[in-house]
Amino acid sequence: MSATPQVPTMQNDSMEDRLYTVSYDDPGESHLDVKVPDICTDSCETSDCMAVCPADVWRREDTDDLPTIAYENCLECSSCRFACPYDNVSWEYPTTGSGVTYKRG
Amino acid sequence: MNDKSTQAAGATLLDERAGDAALEAPNYDNDFDAIIVGAGLAGSAAALTMAQRGLEPLLIERGKYPGAKNVFGGVLYTPTIRELTDLDSAPFERYIGEKRFSMLSHDDETAVSLKPGDWHREPHNDSYTVFRGDFDEWFAEQAVEAGATLVTETTVTDLVREGGGIVGVQTDRPDGEIRAPYVVLAEGGNSLVSEGADLKAREDRTNIAVAAKEVLEFPENDEAIEDRFRLVGDAGVSYHYFGEGAVGEAYGGGFIYTNDDTVSVGVAYSLDDAATKRQSPEETLNLFKSHPAVAPLLKDARTVEYSAKTIPEGGAETMPDLVHDGAVIVGDAAGLVLNNGVHLEGTNMAVESGYYAGDTIAKAAENGKTGASALQSYPERLENSYVVQNLERYAWLTERVEEDRDLLFEQLPRAIADASTEYFRMDRSPKATHAKAAKQRIFETLGGWKGATKLALRYRKLVR
Repeated sequence: MSATPQVPTMQNDSMEDRLYTVSYDDPGESHLDVKVPDICTDSCETSDCMAVCPADVWRREDTDDLPTIAYENCLECSSCRFACPYDNVSWEYPTTGSGVTYKRG
Repeated sequence: MNDKSTQAAGATLLDERAGDAALEAPNYDNDFDAIIVGAGLAGSAAALTMAQRGLEPLLIERGKYPGAKNVFGGVLYTPTIRELTDLDSAPFERYIGEKRFSMLSHDDETAVSLKPGDWHREPHNDSYTVFRGDFDEWFAEQAVEAGATLVTETTVTDLVREGGGIVGVQTDRPDGEIRAPYVVLAEGGNSLVSEGADLKAREDRTNIAVAAKEVLEFPENDEAIEDRFRLVGDAGVSYHYFGEGAVGEAYGGGFIYTNDDTVSVGVAYSLDDAATKRQSPEETLNLFKSHPAVAPLLKDARTVEYSAKTIPEGGAETMPDLVHDGAVIVGDAAGLVLNNGVHLEGTNMAVESGYYAGDTIAKAAENGKTGASALQSYPERLENSYVVQNLERYAWLTERVEEDRDLLFEQLPRAIADASTEYFRMDRSPKATHAKAAKQRIFETLGGWKGATKLALRYRKLVR
């Protein structure tokens, strides 16, 4: 008898593969931005945008940096906009049908 | 019939014109009796209701089709939709024949399963799994068939005001201003238009849940869903999971819903916890899927779709003003979501609010009245309906559970699992010894009879 219950190993897709499951039309420019760059570089130590994003849109090596925004990953959940303690996320709806398209949802 | 097909043809014509808007920039001003921002379930319910009352509403959707931008867990409750339209052609996946509530500690599961025979009989307690991509498109079609006009791939960017009142919307199409006497804001929980127009404030993150979900298929096993969830015919299940095994240290839960030939698996939990406990949605979903009680159900599955969304869970206390001069707010944009752990509802309340908004506007239009006072019966009727009554009934609960979260989601699940282990232990001691040990384990956690009584008192309103 083994000491721990036998559990089948879950083979989870990588983030890249997961994001491949939804279709995406690039609007050409980011629908996401930071409102005031200085707030990110001078005040923000926690990078909550990065912590809560389900799609690795927000990335930041160091708390002195501005986050980079991989907007083409965005699933349009808006968690970054609500999570930012400085209300410093600029979020616009992607225009004319662009952005993510869910088939099932 | 003739009347309907003419209207549908008219709608198609306008649709095509809208599609060529970049070239022609048509002027829609005063063509429509009302503008609805968002063709989700609330918006289409409002459009359908207005169209049935003889109005010509314009339904504006930013996605490629209604539902393209929409995500939910998976179960739709249909009592009101059934009143509004014929459900025979509705794209249902499965009806809910079993609800299961499960507490997960690190490696234990304690579950309760409910399978009332009545749920297997039509109309199946009006509970069905659906895909929003299918269902929202179908529901918007019902509105169009009744006389509404649908324009897709068009984003409302702002409201148009005149003399303090709201008189239309600005869209991202060239010359994209459209005017109408009434505007229904059904844009969802990420309410950029309502917020931009100062009709509501950004919701505090303690009132927001973040959710990540996967639709999974079983490519090597056609019978996987029927076998693993013990299903016959169109029956399906909704499994709900709580505790640290479901969402780690966060406040929230996990779920599995069965669709026709896929399952929807996801987690939804406090956005504030995601930030402060550094718990990413993707990692939380992976951990839930790997729990010893969950992984066997999902073995050898393949991801068909990954999705995410935020859920406004502020309830009755954080609802914005629903009526403004020329506009009303419905659905998720109005914060109409109930999550008390046992009941997870939102889309049904969206439909209900859309119906009341549509009906109120139809009555105002019949009387030739505009302005906020003409629309006041919308929030009044909503307050008298199950929507606000339910939100108020459970308003106290979230706060209470938040205070007791360690006890309810970590200590107690462990204690119950340990107590079960003791109670059913197979050794050579008498049962009385086991029962005593089990009882002691539970009482340790609750703080004796006194603690147990206090806990029961704190939650007595649940059974009132």
